[in-house]
Amino acid sequence: MSAHPHHDRPLTAARTPSWWHSPWGHSDWGLLIAAGGLSLMGALLVWSATASGHGTAYLLRHLFNIAVGVALAAAVTRLDFRTLRALAPWLAIASAAGLVLVLTPVGTTINGSHSWIRVPGGMSIQPSEFAKAALCIALALILADRWERGEQPGTRDVLLSAATALVPIVLVMLQPDLGSTLVLVALTAGVVAASGAPKRWLAGAAALGVAGVALALLTPLLSPYQRDRLIAFADPSADPSGIGYQTRQVRIAIGSGGWQGQGLFEGRQTQGGFIPFQQTDFIFSVAGEELGFLGAAALLVVLGFLIVRILIIGAHARDAFGRLLAVGVATWFTFQTFENVGMNLGLMPVTGLPLPFVSYGGSSMFACWLAIGLVNNCHVAAQERPGRR
Amino acid sequence: MAVGVPRRRMRAMTIGVLIVFSLFAGQLLRLQGFNAAATSAEALKGREYNKAIPALRGSIVSADGTVLASSVERRTVTADQTAVCTYKVKRSGGTVPCAASGITAATKALAPLLRTTEAKLRPRLTGNLRYRILAKDVSPMTWRQINKLGIPGIYSEISDDASATRSYPTTMTAASLVGYLTNDGRPGGGVELMLDKELGGTQGHAYYEVAQNGQPIPSARHEITPAVPGDTVRLTIDSDLQWYAQNVLAQKVNEVEALSGTVVVMEAKTGRLLALASYPTFNPDELAKARGSLSNLALTDVFEPGSTSKVMTAAAALEEGKVTPSTGYVVNDRIKRSDKEFKDSHDHPTEYLTTAGVLAQSSNVGTLLMGEKVEPSVLDSYFRRFGMGAKSGVGFPGESPGLFPSWEKWNGSQRYTVMFGQGISVTAVQAAGVYQAIANNGVRIEPRLVESLTDGKGVVRQPAASKTTEVVSQETAKGLRTMLEEVVTKNGTAPQAAVPGYRVAGKTGTAERYDEKLRKYSGYTASFIGMAPADDPELVVAAIVERPIKGHYGGQIAGPVFSDVMSYALKKQGVAPSTTATPKVALKLASPPASTDTSVVRDPRAGELGRAGE
Repeated sequence: MSAHPHHDRPLTAARTPSWWHSPWGHSDWGLLIAAGGLSLMGALLVWSATASGHGTAYLLRHLFNIAVGVALAAAVTRLDFRTLRALAPWLAIASAAGLVLVLTPVGTTINGSHSWIRVPGGMSIQPSEFAKAALCIALALILADRWERGEQPGTRDVLLSAATALVPIVLVMLQPDLGSTLVLVALTAGVVAASGAPKRWLAGAAALGVAGVALALLTPLLSPYQRDRLIAFADPSADPSGIGYQTRQVRIAIGSGGWQGQGLFEGRQTQGGFIPFQQTDFIFSVAGEELGFLGAAALLVVLGFLIVRILIIGAHARDAFGRLLAVGVATWFTFQTFENVGMNLGLMPVTGLPLPFVSYGGSSMFACWLAIGLVNNCHVAAQERPGRR
Repeated sequence: MAVGVPRRRMRAMTIGVLIVFSLFAGQLLRLQGFNAAATSAEALKGREYNKAIPALRGSIVSADGTVLASSVERRTVTADQTAVCTYKVKRSGGTVPCAASGITAATKALAPLLRTTEAKLRPRLTGNLRYRILAKDVSPMTWRQINKLGIPGIYSEISDDASATRSYPTTMTAASLVGYLTNDGRPGGGVELMLDKELGGTQGHAYYEVAQNGQPIPSARHEITPAVPGDTVRLTIDSDLQWYAQNVLAQKVNEVEALSGTVVVMEAKTGRLLALASYPTFNPDELAKARGSLSNLALTDVFEPGSTSKVMTAAAALEEGKVTPSTGYVVNDRIKRSDKEFKDSHDHPTEYLTTAGVLAQSSNVGTLLMGEKVEPSVLDSYFRRFGMGAKSGVGFPGESPGLFPSWEKWNGSQRYTVMFGQGISVTAVQAAGVYQAIANNGVRIEPRLVESLTDGKGVVRQPAASKTTEVVSQETAKGLRTMLEEVVTKNGTAPQAAVPGYRVAGKTGTAERYDEKLRKYSGYTASFIGMAPADDPELVVAAIVERPIKGHYGGQIAGPVFSDVMSYALKKQGVAPSTTATPKVALKLASPPASTDTSVVRDPRAGELGRAGE
């Protein structure tokens, strides 16, 4: 498939270099550049957030994570579209196995949530990040079938999707990792909605969501750690040295950035180390303080561009699988960006969710690039099989 | 259809994404565009670190360089408990985790340096406090050792507790003179208070923005104005002489069961105060236990001087030409003035004394006869030039100007009592100043306590030159000295005050003491003030003992103190013994003068007493 002639542009074919006909040539460069740009911008911000305490240690690891992520994306892009579909059930099972492993003594607790598996070499991986990608594929597989036959997904499909999603959702909730649970729920809702499922299911899902929030607030379902964060969100002065302190410091950092920012490596709140977990959960505040409104808004524009780009690729996908896959990834990125930037801006309660590509963290970086690989794969497939409507 | 629904839904999702992002951009704009200034200011307030750096207080040293008071730099060692626990802990991932082993290692390393036990130190290093004081009064050397350990979160600051870092090596010897610092670090008296501004130096200021871990943020504004240490104050006091005088005085006060006492040693030609002993005193390092007076009595305690003031009356009469040293007086046992009868200390038959005799025997009657020849206003002006009724000029805190009412306000008998030093009051330094003027050929020099001030760069400043006042002529002064030499002979009131090998001129005082508590005269003030060598005086010594119980005459009680201190001081200052003999001065008239002899001073109203002398 690599030496496929570009039949509708015979005149230019002679001058087209050979790599143009490889999957790279058909890649969506807008998507890749946006993701790469975000990753590099993240590298700078992570560096600035950690330079005063750790020099270049975090920068180097972040760059390494990007390299691994890009390699993963390249590998996924090269996969045959059909192979991907065939692999989907196995990926779902592997991801569930990873999540189960976390709950065994192999798992490790970091910052109040039991989400990690320590692997040799001083690294730890977070299976819940990979579960997001696996769920995208699994849901796309389940719901694409019916669509390709031109039918609306029925009760059976919706229930099967829900059951499939419920496995990682419950496992992640047990860790407990509220943020990732919400991402998985949103992702499922997005994919099911985009598959054309009947309205009653969507209404039902919405009702379930409301019930969930009520349960979370009114019953001891959430861990005390999680409830504290919700309370701190409602009233930041309730606990000035705990989470309330954190959100106040973040707000101060972003606010003191002004229009143009204090300059990279110059932000007082950032360089002063006032914000715990700044390189992960609060990386956006580094942009806010040091790059100002212009920098932070630019970051939002690029993130927005990336997500819209994914949706466009989905709309032009060769088949329903690709389309739903893109919707899944878009929903995932959107929700995570929404939650992460939202908590940085004080619009959302604090849950430990990374900003895609920008936050420091290996698993998140790998999973995001994996998703980019999947979406790019759809795009490449659409380019290679013309005749799409 | 089925396909249309997903398309619509995807479009709706895209629009939803755009709306959410726009909302975020709006919030960003609100935070950064409109509220930025207020948020920035709030942020700065949280990070700002504005601290005064205490200046090291200057030393007080004696003229010979003995340290009387000095401060040492002391540090307060503090801990950030959230950082200490990372000591010697292996880094995992990007951060160094907190571990009990870190606290154990830090405790082990710090305990011996902070002179405490591990059991006591450990709880102070454990916890979540960002600031916990571990030890105060840590020497800079110990701090350097602590700092070398490199334990995270262990900091120190210069202690601003001035009283804790002040020491007084000579303890009681000069305590009342040097003064002390109270617990809040403020000067409580003495030179400490007098020159507080100079000793205190100038506080420095540190301004920087601190990071969460307490370290300055490198990229932020950073200003340090170092503290300027206080000046070193060199006093005119000779530490050996001060010590000697203080001891002699203390011994005497205890021996005669007196209330208190003072000794003043002054350089006759410069007004420099070489010793200011004051007893009872206190230990400035143990203020809480102090029982004696916290202030220097030689400058703050006033008393009625009594007979030592007769020299001022004599000086006025001589200078005004009313009498000469050889003028004769018919001294009856009693004399009545202003409805009051005055008498001498001992009853005696009518005597025929010269001016010298009146002084040598300290005759009240004779002095009165001499003094009433001088107009009250003129007498007043002489007394004032001798320094009565005005502060000495030393500037000592709590110093008294004494009490010397203007002649216009003198009541009936006061016109006469001032002549022999009752009804007025002075400090010991004022009283010594009178004799300094006579010693210095009639020129009084304001006494001086401060020799020089030396700042941190070694620049020496001298205080302004002392004010001088010409009180009497050289001849009068010289004449008075010759007459006063008779006082320490067997013919005078104070043979005990003599100093072997030196000619001494001086005067006793045995004043009735006004007791403030009893509000009446009770007990005596015994004093002797004099100078040596009498032919060319170098030193003036005043010894005053308040309300002695065992004995009360100035010659008997203060005379030996004077002699001891003067003898030591002369040798200490390297003053050569006198080579000339004391001139012969007639104290009595050779024969009773004829009643027609107008050169003789007599009481024109003697008959009124109804019992004329023999």
